[in-house]
Amino acid sequence: MCQWCMSHGAGKKWYMNARNYSDELAEESNMKDYLTEQWMNFEQVYIRKIMGFSSKDLGYKLKMPIIGRVLRWRAESMIHSQKKKRNPVRADGHFGQVIPLEDAQIIMSELAAEPIICNYCMCRWMQRRKKEAVCINFGVLSEVLEKLPRFIPKDRVVRIDRETAVEKLEEFNKKGYISSVWFQPIPYINAVCSCESPECGAFTLRNNFDINVMYKAEYIIQLDQDKCQGCKSCVAMCQLSAIRFIPSMDRVIIDYNKCYGCGVCRHACKNDALKLIPREEYPGFDGTY
Amino acid sequence: MSKAKKKKRTKIRIDYSICGEKGKIDPRNCGLCMRACDPAVFIMHETLGTEKQQKDIYDPQDWRITPIWGSLCSRCFKCVEVCPENAITITW
Repeated sequence: MCQWCMSHGAGKKWYMNARNYSDELAEESNMKDYLTEQWMNFEQVYIRKIMGFSSKDLGYKLKMPIIGRVLRWRAESMIHSQKKKRNPVRADGHFGQVIPLEDAQIIMSELAAEPIICNYCMCRWMQRRKKEAVCINFGVLSEVLEKLPRFIPKDRVVRIDRETAVEKLEEFNKKGYISSVWFQPIPYINAVCSCESPECGAFTLRNNFDINVMYKAEYIIQLDQDKCQGCKSCVAMCQLSAIRFIPSMDRVIIDYNKCYGCGVCRHACKNDALKLIPREEYPGFDGTY
Repeated sequence: MSKAKKKKRTKIRIDYSICGEKGKIDPRNCGLCMRACDPAVFIMHETLGTEKQQKDIYDPQDWRITPIWGSLCSRCFKCVEVCPENAITITW
């Protein structure tokens, strides 16, 4: 349980609280206007200025002696902002958490608000000029996105039902994409993404600059060394290079600092050696989200 | 004790008179540098400050590429090689 579960989870994990998906919540804070404004200019979020500093070459700026620390603090507080007056053209209050396939399927089958759409991922579009319809958005955001032609695939049905969404998530997960659920903005949840690194902006920011845009899952992977046959197929599945093959021991090892607990590697294992356990049960990594 | 050699900043420049909203290449049709880059340094975005001039606010037409994560650049020069109009320069 992270701090967001405490404040928005109602005793459960934050993304399991049905209120965070509700249309009433969206209406209360006038999400439709906010999200329209945000998504009309979404590709600009990275180049917006933070405290008058352009975000270009952010990595160098964060290393500057005092300014870097202030910038980091400002960026973190912007991303986790819960204020009423949030700026829609920045990523205020927009962050996510990695979830395993099972949790993503519970969200799609029970919690997500209608209508559900499957649109182009804008991270892949921005970073690789690749249009791939892997983003599943729901609630108010899907009505907003349908007006924006660059996110909407023209040749097929955009609105999908819950069963299709569950099937699609499984398909993406088996392909190696990491499911993640997004506050946008806090506390409203309206997207389940299928991310890959380094195209995903959140993974880039977290892995390279240690800015917490993407939280690690409530789970962590456990490897059964007796069952592992050393076939290396899980190594290819891991987007975050957390699994490594050690030739002298003829088995794989896991870098728990890099593991986000997405569970994608399980799909590759033929011997059932990998399984997800709750993060609390792993003493060294309890609370490191 | 020898100090670790400080790595200089990598400066990636894109000539926007060639590639960009006013140039002859629309990055939305090319994007070869973005595909070639391993650490995904470049991002493509609508040009800042033109929201009000856009004809269709829902479908902006002015796009350019910015080398946003310059510190991740490994100086492999793949983007320079792949650019059809030689619009990219890298210095440090």
